[in-house]
Amino acid sequence: MAHWRSITARLRSLLANKRVEEDLAREVASHLTLLADDFERRGMSRAEARLAARRAYGGVEQAKQAHRDERSLLWIEQTMQDMRYGLRTLSKSPGFTITVVLTLALGIGACTAIFSLVNAVLIRSLPYGDPEQLVYLFSPNPSLKIPAEVICPSYGDFYDLKREAKSYADMSNFEQAQFSVTQQGTTLRIGGARVDDDFFSTLQSMPELGRIFAGEDNLPGHAKVAVISHSLWVSMFGARPDVLNRSMQLDGANYQIVGVMPPRFEYPFKSDLPYGDSHTQSTQIWVPLALDSKARASRGIGNNVSVARLRSGVTIHQAQAEMTGIMARLDKEYAADPRDAGLPREWGALVESFTGVSIGPVRPLMRLLLAAVGLVLLIACGNVANLLLARAAERARELGVRAALGAGRGRMVRQLLTESLLVGVGGCAVGIVLAVLFLRLLPKLDPGNIPRLNEASLDARVFLVAIGGSLLTSLLAGLMPAIGASRMELTEFLKSHAMRGSSAGHSRLQSALIVAQTAMVVVLLAGAGLLIRSYINVESVDTGFTRSAVTFHVSLDQRYPAQKQGAFYKELITKLEALPGVKAAGGVSNLPLSNSESIGFLWVEGYPNKDFQQAEGRGVTPHYFEAMEIPLIAGRYFIEADATGNGPAIINQKFAATYFSNRNPIGGRISTDEKHAHWSTVVGVVADVRHMGLEEEPQPQMYNTSYDFGDESVAVRSTLPAATVENEIRAILKSIDPSLAVTDIHTMGDLVSIATARRRFQTSLLAVFAGIALIMALVGLSGLMRFSVNRRTREVGIRMALGAERRDVLLLILRNALVLVVCGLSLGLASTWIATRLLKSFLFGVGQHDPFTIVTVSVLLLVCGLMAAFVPARRAASIDPMQALRTE
Amino acid sequence: MTSKWFNCSLECQVKKMPIQILQGTLDLMILRTLATMGPQHAYGIASRLQQVSEDALNLNQGTIYPALVRIEQHGWTRASWCKTENNRDAKYYTITKAGLKALSEETERWRQMAGVVEKLLAEEQ
Repeated sequence: MAHWRSITARLRSLLANKRVEEDLAREVASHLTLLADDFERRGMSRAEARLAARRAYGGVEQAKQAHRDERSLLWIEQTMQDMRYGLRTLSKSPGFTITVVLTLALGIGACTAIFSLVNAVLIRSLPYGDPEQLVYLFSPNPSLKIPAEVICPSYGDFYDLKREAKSYADMSNFEQAQFSVTQQGTTLRIGGARVDDDFFSTLQSMPELGRIFAGEDNLPGHAKVAVISHSLWVSMFGARPDVLNRSMQLDGANYQIVGVMPPRFEYPFKSDLPYGDSHTQSTQIWVPLALDSKARASRGIGNNVSVARLRSGVTIHQAQAEMTGIMARLDKEYAADPRDAGLPREWGALVESFTGVSIGPVRPLMRLLLAAVGLVLLIACGNVANLLLARAAERARELGVRAALGAGRGRMVRQLLTESLLVGVGGCAVGIVLAVLFLRLLPKLDPGNIPRLNEASLDARVFLVAIGGSLLTSLLAGLMPAIGASRMELTEFLKSHAMRGSSAGHSRLQSALIVAQTAMVVVLLAGAGLLIRSYINVESVDTGFTRSAVTFHVSLDQRYPAQKQGAFYKELITKLEALPGVKAAGGVSNLPLSNSESIGFLWVEGYPNKDFQQAEGRGVTPHYFEAMEIPLIAGRYFIEADATGNGPAIINQKFAATYFSNRNPIGGRISTDEKHAHWSTVVGVVADVRHMGLEEEPQPQMYNTSYDFGDESVAVRSTLPAATVENEIRAILKSIDPSLAVTDIHTMGDLVSIATARRRFQTSLLAVFAGIALIMALVGLSGLMRFSVNRRTREVGIRMALGAERRDVLLLILRNALVLVVCGLSLGLASTWIATRLLKSFLFGVGQHDPFTIVTVSVLLLVCGLMAAFVPARRAASIDPMQALRTE
Repeated sequence: MTSKWFNCSLECQVKKMPIQILQGTLDLMILRTLATMGPQHAYGIASRLQQVSEDALNLNQGTIYPALVRIEQHGWTRASWCKTENNRDAKYYTITKAGLKALSEETERWRQMAGVVEKLLAEEQ
């Protein structure tokens, strides 16, 4: 016990330095008193005695310092000694060291990488003042069957709210916009926003250069001014300080640059808005909104986004209650806007936090990834603990000899802990390297819809987590064998240095660790399996179109008024179709999977119509279906003669099933205006197309044909490779109008791939983690079996001498491993049953208790487990009984 | 090595040149003191050392503190606060079993060492 006391005394002197110091001061004082007492007894006066005592004692501070030095000296000396010894023993068994360091590095690396992601996405603060106080204001209309976060209050309602609401410190309205910017002859489309006066103050952001908009900038007809982003300042103006004296051409008009925003301020990012402009990734240019008085008073659905900052102390609930009251009053006060297609005036109120909108959707994913890497780290921890346990057992002789020679128990525990900390440091270093590699790889995996994912980097916080994680892991892993070693009974050891923990040759602790690891692997594998199944399901969804079509978008500037646009698209499509190899080309108002949708109300002849029946509406040019290879189910495709704007209609299967359930849709008539002034005749039924996303059921869809429906995307199907088609598209556009920019040039396959990117991201990460975990657990199992075979050499020898066959020995070891795997498997399956409930929202087309996944995981684990045990088992079977009995 | 320590014949000379104590020697002396006298406080130990050396060991009493820490950290002594016969608080050091063992080992080592040094010095003279 004296050893324990010495180590605890030393530990205490490190941790509770204050108490030690107080004790020392007390001891010195008592010493001086005793001395003085003595001198007094010899006849000195009290004062003299004190002085004499001081003299006899010498420098009090020196004595204290010497005491301190001595206290820490021993500690440092022993630590250095332990480290030297640890390094020496570790380098003597490089196999062990490399395995442990790699195992730790995988765990730490995975953890660090994912934490750096979570750090960038969830933890690091946004550059918008206090983002927790920012809210979006929406006004959902119950008659519209669309998500509540699509429509914000109309301008008229917004300015009434702004006047009356007491909940907000600042409120702002803005519209997203795209600007054509010509730079060195090429025209670029750059994401921008038209913002009102309070935009920057609401976001609590100030420019790094120049000014933001002030009073008269936002008056209509005033001089055109713009604020640009830091990155645009760098890329377009070379970060020159005289940028404020310059102007730039936006959509052909001249804008004076008045300010440059700081880096990282590019609000709104695509992911900052629930249903933002899909063409805009981030915002680089801000110009004044400059509403005229008519627009300011409009009560119709606008394109605006309303963002506000809550007054401090006001909760979202209070703001919600206030907005509900005001909107209800406005609904009574004003009639429905005639432009809103017959929608009743019943605009609701919805206040949602900015962080909820921007980060909310990815929070579950981040939690899932953190949980997964947590499991990986725990498995790594278990593995390292097991390796250290095995090593401690193999070193029992060495430790026993050291104990017999008088090494303190505490000293030996410290020695073992130092060793595990050394491998922890190694693991941490390699792990950080792995994390850096992962972050290099990350841009390739970036699904594009996780906010600020690309800002993931190793900052101080991430390093702290990596270092803390590895320290904790190695301490946890090192503690078990260390305590085991310290419990070693010297007499036992001396009696027989062939200690036997259990009949299996390894301790219960080791088995328990393997079982726990296996269980965690099962959970990870099952999770990964379910996600993979979901991903396969999503990938095999029938999108309704061919993935090979090349699509692009042309933004026409103000030189193309509405009446000239039709002619432009007709010329473009005709020229495209004349190209060799092109099968068909067609324009569409909104491409599938482009995150933009147009919804209309409709009435079907001969159907018991209800109010507000809605369908996705598309304007297409006649050959759109051929260009996209959307299969024809009944009737015919559009022909050129249909392209009058008021011609026939084509519907999808879902539409036919909903409104023409037991009659022939061909020849049926549909009206899209409430007065039924015009009816379109259905001439064809086409396959359902996934417009919104692959995981959402197709809605009723309806197509009309014309060349003249404004902003179009164009699809081209050709037998030539996509790259060739792209070049031809650019060449043709240049021949028509060289100053027009082609944007968003993609194959439909690219769009599908973008739409599934998030799923691919989460699936591949989880699969990789599950794979790492499986390998680690197998390495652990194999190591344990090898260890136990080593310890049972003699037993196997006796068994064989008594007539056991090699097969029996093989089976003995395999059975041993199988018991562990089966225990882990059952425990894991039980945990999986509970854990996959958390996974429910990530699944598509597969149940959370999918039997196929569970069976696959079980079989995989059993087979892998037996394979891992096979090598050591065969070694056991090849033991020569004579040899085995002679050793020891 | 000079006659600064140990090989001293003149008391007055020693008093002028206080003995520098070999590291470990002081530990040994303290252990011995504790073993003979039973539990002692630092002052008691220092006084005893002074008394035994007949004041040859004119060391500042504070100097024994590092040695006290060292031997306590080795687990050779145990310390606790008690009252002196004059009812003063003092930290008493008690020698432990391990301390006794260490004392016997150290004593043996010291004897060997002293013998070697003595022999060496005798030859050189």
